[in-house]
Amino acid sequence: MREEYLLAALRMAAGADPVPERVSAAARAVFGLRVPGGVPAEPVGLPVPPGARSGDGTRPPGVRRFSADGLVIDIETDVAGGRMEVAGQVSPAPGPEARIEVRTPYVGKVRVPSPGGRFAVAGLPPGWVSVVCHRPGHPPVFTRWVHVRP
Amino acid sequence: MPTDDTFATIDQATWEDLVARFDGRMWAVARAFGLSASDAADAVQGAWLRLVENADAIRDPERIGAWLVTTTRHEAARLSRRARGEVVADLEVPDTSVPDPTAALVDADFGRQVWRRLDLLGEPCRSLIRLYVLHPEARYAQIAVRLDLPVGSIGPTRARCMARLRALVEEEDR
Repeated sequence: MREEYLLAALRMAAGADPVPERVSAAARAVFGLRVPGGVPAEPVGLPVPPGARSGDGTRPPGVRRFSADGLVIDIETDVAGGRMEVAGQVSPAPGPEARIEVRTPYVGKVRVPSPGGRFAVAGLPPGWVSVVCHRPGHPPVFTRWVHVRP
Repeated sequence: MPTDDTFATIDQATWEDLVARFDGRMWAVARAFGLSASDAADAVQGAWLRLVENADAIRDPERIGAWLVTTTRHEAARLSRRARGEVVADLEVPDTSVPDPTAALVDADFGRQVWRRLDLLGEPCRSLIRLYVLHPEARYAQIAVRLDLPVGSIGPTRARCMARLRALVEEEDR
């Protein structure tokens, strides 16, 4: 039995520190973030360029790569002035009919990718973020949720 | 609860039932890692998001509670390490394919059993743990003043007391 579980159970029995309603509301809202029929893109390690610093030794800081269904999705995140920016690239370029959706649990923004497959979104709340690539004739491909805080 | 082979066919009402059943436990586990309210909210939300992205892989709806609590613990542990200044991977997808079976025990009924075992501990353990449980935001310095103990002793004493409490609980289970 883990110490954290004992502590959690003691607090629940005492009614101490109950879950805030905003946390419950956020949990209920997560249901709307499903991507029916979607294909999850799994994280892929990125090689570290010479001279680059890396938090975990496998990739440059702030850059993540995901792959599924023949697509590679690179995303780079930054938090400035309390807002999150997300830029990235889909390879191979998915074409002008594709749409890139950058989602947080609270707001999503849709972009048409550039001819090279690039996209960028700013002004998002920091926290959890995921990118979905919608292509005509293909199931949507979504990245795993990534946690981004300053 | 859904009876389908997978969890993918769940509807909004079933999801809200899950939230009502488990979000209190998930919050309590996240806070038990000493997380701030903001970080604990992120840990809980992260566990629900992991459920959404893994819905197709979950075959046993009866184990969802343990899965959610185990996943919350993973996310909370990651955020706790980050809060201490450690470098942690933000893409660490926890392996919760085999949920911790003890996670299913975390509820108020079990908590009442633990309170009864806590009453068997001597001082300062009983008062220290009681303060720590009832005042999640209390700092060690405040607890030290209340119990008239050196502030440097609070952390080690708390660890020792929790170990004794855990032994009492496990003894009861045998």
